[in-house]
Amino acid sequence: MLKKKRIQNKKNRQSNFSKLSIFQNSKYKFKKSCPLSVKGAPTIDYKNVKLLKKYTSENGKILPSRITNVCQKKQRELSLSIKRARNLALI
Amino acid sequence: MNLYEHTIVIKQDVGATQIKKLTEKYSKIVESNDGNIVQTENWGLLNLSYIINKNKKANYIHFKIKGGKDIIKKLEKNESLDQNLLRYMTVKVKKFDLETNYFAKKEEKTKKENNKN
Repeated sequence: MLKKKRIQNKKNRQSNFSKLSIFQNSKYKFKKSCPLSVKGAPTIDYKNVKLLKKYTSENGKILPSRITNVCQKKQRELSLSIKRARNLALI
Repeated sequence: MNLYEHTIVIKQDVGATQIKKLTEKYSKIVESNDGNIVQTENWGLLNLSYIINKNKKANYIHFKIKGGKDIIKKLEKNESLDQNLLRYMTVKVKKFDLETNYFAKKEEKTKKENNKN
């Protein structure tokens, strides 16, 4: 019984955190799923410039996962491939 | 036998024949050190997002190499001496996806559009 409780506890802590981000408009606030770890999501690659452009701001900064709602594992891959694309002057 | 993705960025004012010579030169280096090139892609002339020593555009060549680590050392040693190259980058990869070519789509797309209309 104890294990189950701990999982529930972890879940609503995350939802409180996402409510905190003021930038997200109300439509996204309750969107739990990360857009990149869905089944048909595109692969994160430094060559896939179209996808990387979606997760950078206008002047090329990497958007924080708090705003783009991306999970931590995908955010690390994203930032690594964005930095590689920057090195090749693709972004 | 590691898998590497090696891309080189060649200066803008280099002719097509010289690009071929460059690709052959580097693929010969790879083959001579018992590695093999799985695939080479020519991404063509792309706009650089920032100016690299006065070049606004550059040719990109992309190799997919299978082999040991000393190949990359030799390859990069020659590339750092080469005047025509602006940048080179190798990435160690777990597996290749050979079908998707993000930069060739433009030609295929235009071909499709021509067929349509």
